[in-house]
Amino acid sequence: MLVAVLLPFIIAIFIPFLSKWKDKVHTGFFVTIVPVLVFIYFVRFLGTGFEPVIHEYSWIPSLDINMVFHLDGLSLLFVLLISGIGSLVAFYSIFYLHKSEQLGHFYVYFLIFMGSMLGVVLSDNVFALYSFWEFTSLSSFLLIGFWNYKKESRYGALKSMLITVFGGLSLLGALIFMSILTNTTSIQGMIDQQQLILNSEFFPLILILLLLGAFTKSAQFPFHIWLPDAMEAPTPVSAYLHSATMVKAGIYLVARYSPMLSANEWFFIIVSLAGIVTLCWGSYMAVRQIDLKGILAFSTISQLGMIMAMLGFGTKVAIFGAVFHILNHATFKGSLFMIAGIVDHEAGTRDIRKLGGLMTFMPMTATLAIIASFSMAGLPLPFLNGFYSKEMFFESSLHLEAASTGFAGFLQASIPYLAVFGSIFTFVYSMYFFFGTFRGKSHLEELPKKPHEAPIGMLISPIILVAGVIIIGLFPSLINEPFIAHAAESVKGAVLEEKHIYFWHGFIPPFIMSITVVVFGSILALSRKVWAPVYRFVPGVLSMNKVYDGTVDRMERYSKNITKGYMNGSLGRYVRLILAAIIVISFAFMAITGGFTIDTSNVAEITTPEILVAIMMVIAAVGTAITNNRIAAILILGVVGYGLSMLFVLYRAPDLALTQLIVETVTVALFLLVFYHLPKLRKKEEPVSTKILNLVISVGFGVLMTMVAISSHSSKFFDSISEYFVDNSYKLGGGDNIVNVILVDFRGLDTLFEIVVLGIAAMAIFGLIRLRKNKEEE
Amino acid sequence: MEIIMAVLAGILFTTGVYNLLQKQLLRIIIGTGLISHGAHLFILTMGELKTGAPPVLTEGIENYTDPLPQALILTSIVISFGVTSLLLVLAYRAAKVNGTDNMEQLRGNDYE
Amino acid sequence: MSNLAVLPILMPLIAGILVAFIHKKTTLVRNISKGLAIINLVIVGLVFMQVRDQGSIVLEMGSWEAPFGIVLVGDLLAMTLVLTTNIIAVACVFFAPQSLSEKEESYYFYSFFFLLISGVSGAFLTGDLFNLFVFFEVLLMASYGLIVLGNGKAQLRESIKYVLINLFSSMLFVTTIAFLYSVVGTVNMAQAAQRVQEVEQQGILTTIAILFFFVFATKAAVFPLYYWLPRPYISPNPVVSALFGALLTKVGIYSILRTFSLIFNHEVGLTHTLFIYLAAFTMIFGVVGAISTNNIKLIVAYNIIPAVGFMLMGIGIFTEVSISGTVYYLVHDMVIKGVLFLLVGATAYVAGTSDLRKMGGLIHHYPVLGWLLFIASLVLAGIPPFSGFMGKLQLLRGGLGEEEIFIVIIGLVSSLLILFSMIRIFIRGFWGEKMDIPIPERKKTGNLMVLPAAGLLTVSVLLGVGAEWFFPTIESISQYLMDPEIYIDSVIKE
Repeated sequence: MLVAVLLPFIIAIFIPFLSKWKDKVHTGFFVTIVPVLVFIYFVRFLGTGFEPVIHEYSWIPSLDINMVFHLDGLSLLFVLLISGIGSLVAFYSIFYLHKSEQLGHFYVYFLIFMGSMLGVVLSDNVFALYSFWEFTSLSSFLLIGFWNYKKESRYGALKSMLITVFGGLSLLGALIFMSILTNTTSIQGMIDQQQLILNSEFFPLILILLLLGAFTKSAQFPFHIWLPDAMEAPTPVSAYLHSATMVKAGIYLVARYSPMLSANEWFFIIVSLAGIVTLCWGSYMAVRQIDLKGILAFSTISQLGMIMAMLGFGTKVAIFGAVFHILNHATFKGSLFMIAGIVDHEAGTRDIRKLGGLMTFMPMTATLAIIASFSMAGLPLPFLNGFYSKEMFFESSLHLEAASTGFAGFLQASIPYLAVFGSIFTFVYSMYFFFGTFRGKSHLEELPKKPHEAPIGMLISPIILVAGVIIIGLFPSLINEPFIAHAAESVKGAVLEEKHIYFWHGFIPPFIMSITVVVFGSILALSRKVWAPVYRFVPGVLSMNKVYDGTVDRMERYSKNITKGYMNGSLGRYVRLILAAIIVISFAFMAITGGFTIDTSNVAEITTPEILVAIMMVIAAVGTAITNNRIAAILILGVVGYGLSMLFVLYRAPDLALTQLIVETVTVALFLLVFYHLPKLRKKEEPVSTKILNLVISVGFGVLMTMVAISSHSSKFFDSISEYFVDNSYKLGGGDNIVNVILVDFRGLDTLFEIVVLGIAAMAIFGLIRLRKNKEEE
Repeated sequence: MEIIMAVLAGILFTTGVYNLLQKQLLRIIIGTGLISHGAHLFILTMGELKTGAPPVLTEGIENYTDPLPQALILTSIVISFGVTSLLLVLAYRAAKVNGTDNMEQLRGNDYE
Repeated sequence: MSNLAVLPILMPLIAGILVAFIHKKTTLVRNISKGLAIINLVIVGLVFMQVRDQGSIVLEMGSWEAPFGIVLVGDLLAMTLVLTTNIIAVACVFFAPQSLSEKEESYYFYSFFFLLISGVSGAFLTGDLFNLFVFFEVLLMASYGLIVLGNGKAQLRESIKYVLINLFSSMLFVTTIAFLYSVVGTVNMAQAAQRVQEVEQQGILTTIAILFFFVFATKAAVFPLYYWLPRPYISPNPVVSALFGALLTKVGIYSILRTFSLIFNHEVGLTHTLFIYLAAFTMIFGVVGAISTNNIKLIVAYNIIPAVGFMLMGIGIFTEVSISGTVYYLVHDMVIKGVLFLLVGATAYVAGTSDLRKMGGLIHHYPVLGWLLFIASLVLAGIPPFSGFMGKLQLLRGGLGEEEIFIVIIGLVSSLLILFSMIRIFIRGFWGEKMDIPIPERKKTGNLMVLPAAGLLTVSVLLGVGAEWFFPTIESISQYLMDPEIYIDSVIKE
C-alpha cells in the first residue's frame, strides 16, 4: 500500500525528464497511467465481505510519526474517488492543456496532490495525516497559480493557501492535543479512548480547532470564500481538487472523527448549523454568478454544506446519505466541471451572459450537461443519482435524534425548512447553468471563437462520469452493499441494518419536500429576470470576501504602522526601550524574590584618599554629560580613567593600574585624533521631556546595578576559588605575581583570545581605513 | 567602602547611559567609555576590597587581595580598548561618509 | 583523547591567522579557505561522532583542574551545534567568491570568517563564564570586521548601532559575571551550578539570573531587546548576513539554554514563566515585522525573531519534550536561516533590487532559485515533513502537555504568518508575467550562487524527512540538559 501512495510522488520526480519529449507525446499520457494503476490496486478490495486492512511502515518512530495506512470503508470510498476521478481528469487534461503549456509543472503538482490526498484518507497516524493534509493545500496553491501571469491566479492561490493552511494549523493544534490526552498518535486509538478526550476540560477547544480545519478545507461558511477564487486554476484542476476530492478532505475528517465527536451535543449544533448555512448561502450565491465555473464553485460549496449537515445530523439515514452523496456529487459535479471546461475551450468564454443556445453546436456536450445538472437539481427521476441522496437528506432532516430543548431544539425544528430553502436555489442554479448555456438565444457574435463540438477525447471522461450518474440512478443497490454500506458503517461505528435504496417510497414528507423544491424552483428559475436586482444587491456588504481582503490589507498596513512606530532606526529609542525593559523586569524580580540585601559587617573601612578620588570621578563623570566642549569632554573622560587607575593603586592592583594608565592615555589620544575630524558638540536641543526620560532611565539603571552589586557583595555564600591561585601560583605556576600567573597560565585561553580580539580589531580598522583610500583613488 | 564603590560604579553607569542616550556620536562613545570604567570598578568591588597585600607573593605575607577579579579586569580592559578603538574609527568613517554625526539623522529611512 | 575538544576552536583560529598573512592573493586564499573549511568540517564531524558514541569530552585547558582553570566541555549539545556551524561555514565559503568583490575578499574576509567560526565554536564549547565572555568578544569582533566590510554608506550607519548595542551588552555581561562571582565565588559553570543549587538560588541570585538572561537575550534578539537586529543584519554582503543570521542569535539562545538549564533552574516558576511571555511577544512582533516590509532581505531578517520566540518558548516550558523541540529547532533554524539569507541574497543580486515591488516573473529566468526559495519557505514555516515541523511539533507538544494553550495558539498563528511573509516573496517576486531578464550579465554568477544554498537546503530537508536519524541524538541531549548533575559531575570530579 505504501507503494500505491508513494507512486505518484515517485513518478512526479521523473516528470521533468519526461517533458523533454512532450513535443511528441503529451505528458498526460504517462501521468494517466498512475491513477489507473492505483485504482486497479484498490478496486480489488471492493466487495460485500470487505474487512478493514492496516499496513504499517515506520518512518520517524521516535517522534511517533509513522506511515500507518488504515483502509476501511470510508477510506476505500475516498481512495477510489481519488484514483478514479484522477484517471478521468488526467485523461481529460491531455486534451484540455496544450503542449505549449508548462505541462511538466502541471503534472508534477497534479501527482503530488494525488499522492497527498491518498495519504490523507489512508493515514491513521495523525501527524502523517497532517503532513499530507498540508501538502494538498500546497499543491492546490501551486495548481491555482499555474497561470501565475494572471493577477487573479496569484490572488486566488494566496487566498486558498492562507485559509487552508490556517485551518491546517488549527487542525494540528487539535491533533496534538488529542494525541497528548490519549497518548497515541493513531486515530483509531483516539476513538477507542474517546472518553479521555470527551471528558477533558479542553474538549470545546479541541472541537473548535478540529472543525476549523475541516471547515476551511471543505469551504464551509464563512471560510468558503477561497473556493470561487480557486476557479482560476485550469478546469481539470477545478474538477478534481475543488469539487471531487480535496474539498472533501474536511468532510472526510469530520466523518472520520464523528464516531467520537458526535457524542457531544455541540458537534451536532456546530456542524449542522455550518452545513445548513453553507448549503443555503452557497446555493443562493450560485444563482448570482455569471461565470460558469463560478456557478459550479458556489454549487460545490452548497453541496459540501449539505454533506456536512448530514454528518452533523449523525443519524443512520443521514450518514448513509452523506456518504452516498460524496460519491454522487463527485460524478455529476466532476462532469459538469469538465463540461464547463469544454464550453470554455470551444466557445472561448465562460461568461454565461455571452453564452446561450449552444445545444445546436454541441449536442453531445449538451446531453451530458442536461443529465448531470438535473441530477444535481435532485429532480425526481429514477435514473438520476442526485435524487436519492437528496431524498435521504430530506428524510434525515425530519428525523433528528438530537435533544429538542434549547438552541439545539430550535435548530432541529428549523432544519427542514432551511433544507428546502437551500434546495430550491440548488434547483434554480442547476437550471440556470444548463438553460443559460445551451438553450435560449445564441450570441455568436460575442463569442471569441466559433463554437463546435469538442473532440471525442475530451468527451470521454464526462461521458464515463455521466454514465456513472445513470447507472447509480438505475441500480442504486449495485454499489450499495459492496461499497457505500461499508463506508457508512465505518462512520457510524456500528453495522447498519440492511438499507435498500428505493426510488419510490410513496407520498411521504421527503417526497413532498422534493416536489416543493421542483415547483418553487421552476417558478424562480423562469422568473429569474424579475429577481435579478435582488440577486445583485443582496449580499453586498455581507460579502466575506471583503472581510478577507480587509484582513489581509489591514494586516499589511497595521504591521507596517506598528513596525515603523518603533523600528525607526533611532539608536536612542532602541536603547531606551531595551533599558526600560531591563530595569522594570529586573526590579520586579528583585522585589518578588526579595533579592536585595545589605550587610555591612564584612566591608573594608572607609578611608579619605579613596573618598577623594571617588568624588573627583563623580564630578568628572557628571561633567562629561554637561560640557559642550568636545576637547573638555574627552579630557574629563580621561580624568575618570585616571581616577580609576588611582583606585586600582589604592586597592592593591598594581598591574591593573599600569594597564589602565596606558590604555587610558592611548584612548584619549585616539579620541582626540578622531574627533579632530568630527563636528563640534552642539547645545542639546532636545525637549525637556526627553531629557527627563533619559535621566530617569540612566538613574534607574545605575541604581539597579548598584543594588545588585551591594546585594551580591552582601551575600557571599562561598569562598572564592582564588585561594587556589594564591596557594599554587608559585608552586605550580612558577610565578610570584599571581595575577600574571592567572593570565598566562591558569586562564591562558582567555589571554590567547584576548590577543585574537585585538588582532581582529586591528584588521578591521585597517580595512575601514584602507578600503576607503582605494575607493577614493578609483 | 564596598558600598561606596558600588555607588560610584553605579554613578559611572548612570552618566555613561545618559551619554549613550544622546544624539551625538562623540557623547555616545564617551558614554561607552564611562560604562566600561563602571564595569571594571564593579568587578574590582566584587572581589574583597579588604586591603590585603597586592597579589604578588612576598615572604611572610598571608593575606592577599583577590587576584582573580584583577585578572578578569585586565582581560576586559584590553578587550574594551580594542572595541573602543574600532568604534572610534568606525564612528569617524560613518560620520564622514554620511555627512553627520547625529544618530537621529543616521536612522536610515530607506528600508520598507 | 580529550584534547579533541579544542580542535573546533583551534583549527579555525589557525586558519584565520594563516589566511591573514596571504590576504592579498585572492584566488589562493579562496581555495585554501574552501579546503580548510572542509577539513574543519570533517574533523568536527569526527569529534562529534566520538562524543555521540562515547560521551562528553571534558578538556581542562593547561591541565589546570576544574574549577580553577578553564574547561572546555564538548558535550553532545555543544558538538551538535559546532557541527551545524561548520556545515553552514562550508556553504558560506563557497558562496562568498560569487558574492563579494575581490577587494572585499582581500580585506581579510576569510580571516574574519574563520575567527568568527572559532569564536562561535568556543562559545558553544566553553564551560567557563568568563571565557564565554571572551569568546563572545571574539565572535563579536569578527562580526564587526565583517559587518563593516565594504564600507557602504548604509552599512557604516547600521554597523555603528550594531557595535554600540553589543558593546553595551558585553559590559553588562562582564559586570553580571562579577556579581555572580561575588555570590558563588567561581566563574566555572559547573561549580556555579553546584553552588547555586546548594543555596537553592536564594536572595539576589534570581536577579543575577535575569541580568544574564538580558545579556543573552540581547544577542538572541528576544522581545523587547531585538530592535537592533533586522537592519544591521541586512546591510552587509549576503554571505555575511547568512553567517550572522545562522550563527549569532543562536549563540544567544544557546547561552540562555545552557545557563537556565544548568545553573539557574531553581526558580522555574518565575524565570521560565517570564520566558514564555516574552516568547509570545517575540513571535508576534517578529512576524508583524516580517509582514510589514517589502524588502526581501528584511523579510528574512525579521523572520529570525519569531524563530527565537519558538526556541525561547521551549526553554520556558522546560520539559524534556519542549527542550528537545528547542534543540531541534535550534539546529534547524541555523541551517535554514543560512539558506534563506543566501537565497534572498542571490535573488536580490540577480534582480538588482531587494524591493519586492520592483520584481516579478523571476521564475522564468531563475527557476531553480525560485523553487529553492519556495521549499525553503515551507521549511521555515514548519510545513511537514520538513525540519521546521519536527522542532515545532515537539514545542507544541511540550506546550500543550503543560497546558500552556495561549502560547501554543500564538505559535500556530505565527507559523501561518511566517508562511505568508515568505510566500509573498515567491508570489510577487517569482510569479508573474515573463519579463526581460533584469541584469543579463549576472545570470552566470547568480546561478553559481544557488549551488551552496542548494547544498545547505538539502541538509535542511534531510533534517526533516530523515528526522529518525537525528531525533534520538536530540532526545538524548534534552534528557542530558534536564539532568544538570551529569554535566556537573563530568566537570568537577570529587
